[in-house]
Amino acid sequence: MRIKAKFKKGVTTVKVMAKHAMLSYQEAEKKKVPVNFITHVVAKVGDELVYEVTTSQFLSKNPYLKFAFKGENKGKEVSITWTDLSGKTKTDSKKIK
Amino acid sequence: MERRKFLGLGAGLFAATIIPASLVAANFRETKPEAWKVMNTKEENMDGVNAGIKAIFGTDKVEEGKVKLKAPDIAENGAVIPITASTAKASKIAIFQSANPESVVAVFDIPANGVPDYSIRIKMQKTGTVVAVAEIDGKLYKASKVVKVTIGGCGG
Repeated sequence: MRIKAKFKKGVTTVKVMAKHAMLSYQEAEKKKVPVNFITHVVAKVGDELVYEVTTSQFLSKNPYLKFAFKGENKGKEVSITWTDLSGKTKTDSKKIK
Repeated sequence: MERRKFLGLGAGLFAATIIPASLVAANFRETKPEAWKVMNTKEENMDGVNAGIKAIFGTDKVEEGKVKLKAPDIAENGAVIPITASTAKASKIAIFQSANPESVVAVFDIPANGVPDYSIRIKMQKTGTVVAVAEIDGKLYKASKVVKVTIGGCGG
């Protein structure tokens, strides 16, 4: 995952690029491979949930997400976790600049 | 499917017992599994989108306004269409479209400190309407936009 997290005037803006093929049912059928895509993404700072999305197969390949949240979070770490249809999860974190 | 439902239920109960309510992650794939299978019917027909809204929010009574939806007029590449949905405050935002087999694209559950200004990139296999729906103080508001797709991006 590529993560950029920037703090400005009380708001942290995070840009995430996850590396995932995001194969839809149609694409998977064409390529004769199992369907798989990211279904759920959460972002946390410490224990606090700051972002959450349930996603479908219609997100682009290597999905890009941009979101923002309030709070004095400069210097803290934001951790992002995705779960895909196969049950695989991946977590990466980045310091908020 | 039965087994999956059962496991999901178990995990949900477990999570609810040990984590304070504010921190419970709302995975709409577990709580609303039917919503993700709502099919679009015909082109230029919003039945699928409306059924998707009903499946996620429990009602399809939606007013125009309060939500801003940014999407391109023409997408040269249907595989990467940048979408931005924003509003002053909301508890949920969901994105739908009428071009792909199923209508629901993504559902954002907005935490207490979340700023509802979210961007994603989606794929559409043909020209269709993108709809953003936000739940604000228990009411639904929407914004929609037709995106013309010149090259399909969903295996098409």
